[in-house]
Amino acid sequence: MPAKTPLDAISLPCGADVDLLLEQAAQGRGADWDAHQQACAHCQAALGELTALWEPVAKAAAGPVSAPPGLVTAVMSQVRRLVHDIWYTLESTELGAVRIAARTVAALARDSARMIPGVRVALGRSIHGEVAAAAEKATFGHRHPHAAVGVLGRTAVVDLAVAVGYGDPAHQVAREIQRHVTATLRDQAGLRDVTVNITIDDVIDGDDGR
Amino acid sequence: MKAAPPAAEPAAGDAYLVARAREGYLDAYELLVQRHSAMAYRVALRLTGKHHDAQDVAQEALIAAWENLDRFQGGSSFPTWLYQIVTRRALNKVTRGGDARSLDLLPDLADPAMEPADKAERNLTVDAVTDALLALPFPQRTVIVLHHFERLSYAEIASVTGATEPAVRSHLFRARRALAKTLQEWK
Repeated sequence: MPAKTPLDAISLPCGADVDLLLEQAAQGRGADWDAHQQACAHCQAALGELTALWEPVAKAAAGPVSAPPGLVTAVMSQVRRLVHDIWYTLESTELGAVRIAARTVAALARDSARMIPGVRVALGRSIHGEVAAAAEKATFGHRHPHAAVGVLGRTAVVDLAVAVGYGDPAHQVAREIQRHVTATLRDQAGLRDVTVNITIDDVIDGDDGR
Repeated sequence: MKAAPPAAEPAAGDAYLVARAREGYLDAYELLVQRHSAMAYRVALRLTGKHHDAQDVAQEALIAAWENLDRFQGGSSFPTWLYQIVTRRALNKVTRGGDARSLDLLPDLADPAMEPADKAERNLTVDAVTDALLALPFPQRTVIVLHHFERLSYAEIASVTGATEPAVRSHLFRARRALAKTLQEWK
């Protein structure tokens, strides 16, 4: 017959509740004895045994588990499919048309804005929902087969939500972002007329914000 | 003003990113996904016991969170809300596919820098704990994972599961005892 363990009973001979002792051990406090436990051999032995029993759980819980590679990409790819795509037509030649997704323009603008000193967070969106709705209506008859909304020509309107560091001159940072993002979208995306709307909606101090 | 390299990790809080994501800033949601996908996968893995199921659950949960972002009231934190979605999806997966008892678990749980012998011992420990965990009824497994693996408080678990705090504590007592008994038999 196997030896009795604390788990075979509801309480110890001293009256201590085994579930409370297990809770104490599982919370890593098996050696933090209260006044009763300091004088009780039953409690001390049980806590030692329960702590050893729980050790593999604590070890397993402490092990790092990272997300499988590709999970973020898979999620965002699915999310983007749920969002209406809007496209800019950059060029139309005898060889065919060149189009660029508005979300790509937004990502370029966002990354470009993040290069500016003082910018702590920059988020980009290409156009407002109302503009998208207007574009959808206006372009219904000549829609790109892969576009859910339509094309907007070579004039880009980009909204950026920006959080700046505490103490950084917000206005100066905003102007610098506008200059830098405009140049980036002209050079890298081939857009002609670029409007960059900036909303500075947060100020972040040190490691705040997490 | 001279351009600086992009910040390694934007320092925006979850509430800020949720608000911007609701306004249509898709990359705000991408930052939330980057920040919390490991948690979603980790919890799903511990609840389902299968890598592929966990990946499905995490992906479905993160997409469902996007679709329902307008319903997120902000009464709890975004991670607490996500825990809720992940545990519900995991329950659906386990219920649909039969309870998981696979050893296809935690592929990278061991530190790559570990010696092979240590890594093997660690994997054995993890497998034993995982088997013991999977032997628990789903509600007990959930409270153990949320409290002892994810370090959530009773109040947070109550918020995730919809139970009261005393009920959570009571579930935990039973779950701990059951888990400890299984581990005792394994020893």
